[in-house]
Amino acid sequence: MSQTITIDPVTRLEGHGKITIQLNGRGQVEDAHFHVTQVRGFEKFAEGRPFYEMPSLMARICGICPVSHLIASAKACEAIMAVRIPHTAAQLRRMLNLAQMVQSHALSFFHLSSPDLLLGMESDSAKRHIFGVAAAHPELGRAGIGLRRFGQHMIELLGNKRIHPGWVVPGGVTEPLSPAHRDEILAGLPEAYANLKLAITAYKSIAASFKGEIEVFANFPSNYLGLINEDESIEFTDGLLRLIDPKGNIIEDGIAAPRFSEVIGEAVEDYTYTKFVYYKPLGYAEGSYRVGPLPRLNIVKSMGTPLADIELAEFKQISAGPIESSFHYHHARLVEALYGLEKIEQILTDPLILDKHVRATAGVNRLEGAGQIEAPRGTLFHNYKVDEDGKITWANLVVATGHNNNAMNKGVLQSAKAYVKDGKFTPGALNRIEAVIRTFDPCLSCSTHAFGQMPLAMTIVNADGEVVDTLIR
Amino acid sequence: MRLGWGYYFKLDELNQPANIRCLILACGNTLRSDDGVGPWLARWAEERFRSEPSVRIVSRQQWTPELAEEIAQSESVLFIDCSVHSDPGSVELNPVVPASCTEGLATHHVGAAELLALSFELYNSLPQNAMQLMVGAGSTELGETFSGQVAAALPQACSLIEETVASQLGNISGPRGV
Repeated sequence: MSQTITIDPVTRLEGHGKITIQLNGRGQVEDAHFHVTQVRGFEKFAEGRPFYEMPSLMARICGICPVSHLIASAKACEAIMAVRIPHTAAQLRRMLNLAQMVQSHALSFFHLSSPDLLLGMESDSAKRHIFGVAAAHPELGRAGIGLRRFGQHMIELLGNKRIHPGWVVPGGVTEPLSPAHRDEILAGLPEAYANLKLAITAYKSIAASFKGEIEVFANFPSNYLGLINEDESIEFTDGLLRLIDPKGNIIEDGIAAPRFSEVIGEAVEDYTYTKFVYYKPLGYAEGSYRVGPLPRLNIVKSMGTPLADIELAEFKQISAGPIESSFHYHHARLVEALYGLEKIEQILTDPLILDKHVRATAGVNRLEGAGQIEAPRGTLFHNYKVDEDGKITWANLVVATGHNNNAMNKGVLQSAKAYVKDGKFTPGALNRIEAVIRTFDPCLSCSTHAFGQMPLAMTIVNADGEVVDTLIR
Repeated sequence: MRLGWGYYFKLDELNQPANIRCLILACGNTLRSDDGVGPWLARWAEERFRSEPSVRIVSRQQWTPELAEEIAQSESVLFIDCSVHSDPGSVELNPVVPASCTEGLATHHVGAAELLALSFELYNSLPQNAMQLMVGAGSTELGETFSGQVAAALPQACSLIEETVASQLGNISGPRGV
């Protein structure tokens, strides 16, 4: 008799999701799915709004990565305006993007994943939360808070608000950086470096103990997509997209925002509100790929900053070609955070960062615009069409979680097959299946979620819909 | 000047405690009617205590774990929020005790008790006094104005904030009242 195991909600994620696992009559896993159970509708209710409102509107999609939407949206608006923003504005936005990346990666590593990594996948769920980490590893708990504080405070200094800063606008930013704020950010860097060094050292010391998880946490060949500079170094705010295959060969290169929709498509499945993004020439689902920290490090040849380059070289030793196991997203996040700190320091020590020319102005000069950047979780794309008055007639967003949707579902199936045997599973097994999703650090929406006291209700039903067993925590 | 690992400091040398004798932590959403009473009282407090350098006011839409660090560096803390479980317009000032460690925690919002507990776990530090001021919400619908009950409660809330801060600082300067 077939059975379905449901994990609802999946904990320690941004947003709401559930996992279902289908067993056959012999208790073996036949299929598994990751369902995103919420719909936001931003693409629709933006219609009719003036295009210059879009950055502020789109930032409200998320409270963790609003900066990503701000910048991608502003870039789409600038394409409509047909302007090139001043160099200083571009650098200021770059710093804002990096500050968000640092604090977002810190959230993912310290708050969401460190309970599993530091306390163990099988540890008592009543203690597998930030309190548990704080009690067992207070220095790391403090490091996580310190690193998040650095990123959030930097966003506040630049944009006047920690969440949904209104500073990024079509054409640039509203205000230049003051010398006092520059100096305050610089003064925070030593502690930020120290906190990150603790995290990197701690992660390297425990990574080897997760060999089993590394084997089955979305560990399969895939294509990888990400922004890259001309010198093949990592890029988060500008640059062009590169798609590589499982062996690292370039499938397509130099994808600029206006071409994004020509080469990237979105498919819909009836069990989830998140779309499935794919590379059109290869079709759906063969054209699926991964985005985010691990794919970015697979794609680039260098980080472009000295300390991160050392870490990248060590990271790439994990595999002769592209690294496949999504478990290594955790490591990749830390390398990217280090790059972020170094790049912020580099930009701040350039005197031009205080230049007063930070905004270009124009009206509607094109009826369509697109913008792409790298959000903490992966490539983000905004595409708008407007009428002659600049009112939005159509909007489309392709977010990182959509790019990774296929891989997340494959990963859930892979881990379910590894950890559910003959219809039997342990709480630790279910936690591992959830942890696969956490490696991707998806942003399903800005939504509250709880960890530690895992609000997990699992129901097993047979093919007739009858409840066979329940597990409630 | 490049920083990076070459300028690595020990963390305990960097975490210099600030001279915060009273930390006021408010939370609320100004777009949800009475839920905005926390930020409103925080703005009032910023004006009222602007000449008091040892009073720090932090207003957030939600309290997050990062605030544990600020609490750990403060001699006293006053949490300010609205309550949907209290009578509309009621004003209560109560001591807060740290939560037990086995309780769960939301990364996007934590309560006052959880923040105190986190402050102790991470920084081995608790304020000498921790109080919470709660204003009973009449409405949390979309909107930017207060209900009549909450509007009427503001003077009492402001007085309680003033008394609480004064008890921490001794005499305080500046004008009184709303």
